[in-house]
Amino acid sequence: MIKALSSKIFFRSILIFNAVMVLVPVLFLINSSLRETNDFARNPIKLATSPHWANFSNVWADGAFATYLKNSLIITVGSTALILTLALGAGFVLGRYTFKSQNLIMGFILSGMLVPAKLAILPLFIQLKWMHLLDSHIGLILVYTSGALPAAIFIMSGFFRSLPADLDSAARIDGASEFQLLRLVLTPLVRPGLSIVAIYSAIPIWNDFFLPLVFLQTPEKKTIMQGLTVFFGEYSSQWGIIFAGLTLAALPLIVLYLILSEQFIKGLTAGAVKG
Amino acid sequence: MSRSGLQREQRKFTFLLLAPGLLTVVIFTSVPALTTLSYAFFHWKGFQRGTFAGFENFHRLFSFPFRDQFLMALRHNVLVFVGIFTLQTTIGILIAYSLYRMIKGQRFFRTVTFLPVIFSLVIVGYMWQALLDPFYGPINNILHSIGLDSFARTWLGSTSTALPTLVFINLWRWVGFPAIIFLSGFNAINQEYLEAARIDGASEGQIFRKVMFPLLAPSMTIVAILTFIGAFEWFDLPYVLGGSSGGPAGATDTLALMFYRLSFGSVDSGANEIGIGSALGVLIFSIVGVGAAFGSKYLRSREVDV
Amino acid sequence: MTQRRGRGLVAAILAASAIAVPVMAAIPAHAATELSFWSWRPEDKVFYEAQAADFLAATGISVKFTPYVATEYNATLATALTAGKGPDVMQIRAYGGMANLSDAGNFLPLTSKMVPALGKMAAGTLAGAQGYTDKHQFGLPYATSVLGVMYNPALLKKAGIKALPTTWDSFLGVLSRVKSAGIMPLGNGTGYAPGLEQLWGAVGPTFYGGTAFYKDVVAGNRSFSDKNFVASLQAVKDLVAYMPAGAEGLDYNTARGLFANEKAAFYIGGNYEISYFRSLNPSLSVGWIPAPSASAGSPRFVTNWADGAFAINAKTTHKTEALKFLNFLASKDFNQAAADQLGWIPTVSGIKVTDPAVISMQRAIPTLGTPFLTLVGFRYGTPTSSAIMQPGFQKVAAGTKTPAELAKDIQAGVASWYKPQTGKA
Repeated sequence: MIKALSSKIFFRSILIFNAVMVLVPVLFLINSSLRETNDFARNPIKLATSPHWANFSNVWADGAFATYLKNSLIITVGSTALILTLALGAGFVLGRYTFKSQNLIMGFILSGMLVPAKLAILPLFIQLKWMHLLDSHIGLILVYTSGALPAAIFIMSGFFRSLPADLDSAARIDGASEFQLLRLVLTPLVRPGLSIVAIYSAIPIWNDFFLPLVFLQTPEKKTIMQGLTVFFGEYSSQWGIIFAGLTLAALPLIVLYLILSEQFIKGLTAGAVKG
Repeated sequence: MSRSGLQREQRKFTFLLLAPGLLTVVIFTSVPALTTLSYAFFHWKGFQRGTFAGFENFHRLFSFPFRDQFLMALRHNVLVFVGIFTLQTTIGILIAYSLYRMIKGQRFFRTVTFLPVIFSLVIVGYMWQALLDPFYGPINNILHSIGLDSFARTWLGSTSTALPTLVFINLWRWVGFPAIIFLSGFNAINQEYLEAARIDGASEGQIFRKVMFPLLAPSMTIVAILTFIGAFEWFDLPYVLGGSSGGPAGATDTLALMFYRLSFGSVDSGANEIGIGSALGVLIFSIVGVGAAFGSKYLRSREVDV
Repeated sequence: MTQRRGRGLVAAILAASAIAVPVMAAIPAHAATELSFWSWRPEDKVFYEAQAADFLAATGISVKFTPYVATEYNATLATALTAGKGPDVMQIRAYGGMANLSDAGNFLPLTSKMVPALGKMAAGTLAGAQGYTDKHQFGLPYATSVLGVMYNPALLKKAGIKALPTTWDSFLGVLSRVKSAGIMPLGNGTGYAPGLEQLWGAVGPTFYGGTAFYKDVVAGNRSFSDKNFVASLQAVKDLVAYMPAGAEGLDYNTARGLFANEKAAFYIGGNYEISYFRSLNPSLSVGWIPAPSASAGSPRFVTNWADGAFAINAKTTHKTEALKFLNFLASKDFNQAAADQLGWIPTVSGIKVTDPAVISMQRAIPTLGTPFLTLVGFRYGTPTSSAIMQPGFQKVAAGTKTPAELAKDIQAGVASWYKPQTGKA
């Protein structure tokens, strides 16, 4: 009994310690974003009792920051929408139909999941230049789509396959066209899959650093993660501004995560968890 | 609708829905991935392709000064893989098991555990850079104020601590991922096994060691493979904190950083070596591919044994 | 539950795209001409923006100044130019620093007809911004940089130092005395690798014999394994003992900050540090001496070179405006302001240097001047001598490599592409 209690305390304290380790740095970041630079330099560990909101207005006044955020939003939303659309269609065909080259195509998709985009960056750079898609949000959206699509199709086809077969024949007997079958009958049923694919694609794209670093050149087109490095070069020891910038870059995702944490966990571990 | 009419419509539909996606993947993934191989066998001047070079680029990669850089970077990647894998597996299992045992309040701790996973490594990197700043960082300040001055150091600036510090930061950001994978591994274990063991009088520790841990093997395989791939393509964190030359003094250099420098220009000259860079790219891809394939084969075989 | 949330998420994405699409469409086309201008000097942002405002008032052309982290500037610019993009006007590195970009035709070739100021510059200065294979002028060299030893007169006085050092031994002696007086002797650290090459560039020439050795190495008569060259590397190692605690992790700005905030008595570097010092501490008094001689009687040298240039993107769509701006950057007003505020020694003639420390640097050039060996001579191929030297010095400082081993590495690296040195050890 005592043993059971002490082990309960042991495992609980592990979780509490872990929570402290996770939350304290994040809270420190948010707290410091509300402190004046000189005040921070005098004593880094102090509560922001009178919030210094000017840090945030200074970050915003720089102008570039809002542009970075907008660019990241365009690229993330654009890619995710495209991935969802293409994966829905392809997943439907691969999950519900049987046709000759099906295994071949499935194999191609599985192999596509293994290619690390980073290492194909040089030919891709030259190819995008040739296609006039360098330094372009559309070019980046297409590259991201191509990178996430194999896994997205794989996940979606699994969801389509798991739906009962009678649905299709029943709808067809009712006179539904194939498009109506997909649009009206099956799509509502694979929504959990779509939300997994959305998170699975959107978060890494929002967070990505390498591809924008190489593919976007004009300062006004850069994403927030890339912009942060420029931002840091410029405000290297202005702590208040730096913390405010980081908070501003991190906060949208934190808020979204707090609302949709289960979706996030499911989406980001998709493919890694069986079943 | 007649049977053949349906078939015709399905054929049309198959083409219409598959073609755009497959074409995107072919153009933006398959073609570049295959051409990258050919790049390694040509001479390059800037982005201009020259004559056929045979294995010369590989030869140059293995001669001075690139060989030393390559070996050092490779060593770092291996150390990072071993370090991250060992730590995150141990800590991850501990957290997962603690969560598994918890019935009430699990949701809160699970949410907190996974929180850092959603952050970009750029944000995580800069956040920790501030926390670890030798002069203004709270970590050194706390160490000084509790009298542990000798523990305070320039964490990211010293060649001996920079890489371990980066491993720690990466761990902070990523440990929630294996923890959640392991948790779902625990949840997938058939309760009857545990019940049977309990009836046999096994203690909690025995049940964990003899029954639950072996059944975690599939989760372990996934975590090991993902960590392996991640460790050998490690770029964002060392770039953000050590720059493209893997500072200080190359102490945080990795294969991916070296690949970036060779491809897009080094710090001092801006000159790039696409041929050697592509040779390195082919090599990294082989390491990752072969390592992941053999690793998963070996780990899967262990899964069958238990 | 899951399904409802999933639906909410999809709806959120659709809503967001409904916002994003009009935003994307609403990006305005620039009505008036705006030139983009890139630099690796974030610390000079205030200066350039003020100058851009003057230029706008005079011409109606606006200039957007974007600085990048110095160590990532080359790769960033190279990628942009190769992509066929990049800024209209940009700051570029001197000599071999960006010769490959020039050889690839990225910069607009300049003539003295387009930029009259070029016609009045000395050949040696112009060479700082000429292509390696073709000899086109690809940039307007803007300033001469000078390396040497800067000191804080008040701190030296406090440490009881009356005579400034003239030989290496007396310099080390002074550093020890400052240290024992409880004052930080040297602000330099080893964390910023390019800073170490500059430190060596300042104190090294007297050991290897300055310009004569430079000519011999370029001609292939002597090599980097030369024992005098090794001695010049050893000089950097000698200084490590006087660097601040934690020198290994000291980044560029923190190191310079130690001197600027009157914590360190000496700082070894270039005249381009002065604007940063003054931005932190406007009242700082900076003294300057040429690097001490290797031994009594051996000559002292002052390393100086045409440091950096302004260039125009060959693909700019605003060629006329960019040329107008380049001529503005070559103007007397701009260069006088740069001399006053940034501590420049402009390449344009007729500018009066006003900073007392910079005046003494400028005076030393005609008699003691010598080229920056690694920067001027050996950045035209891969690996450059700098690429080996910079991380190499960090290892020498940490004690994991000897100066002789580093010299051997530099020789091997340069010999792999520099014809006159091929096969030499």
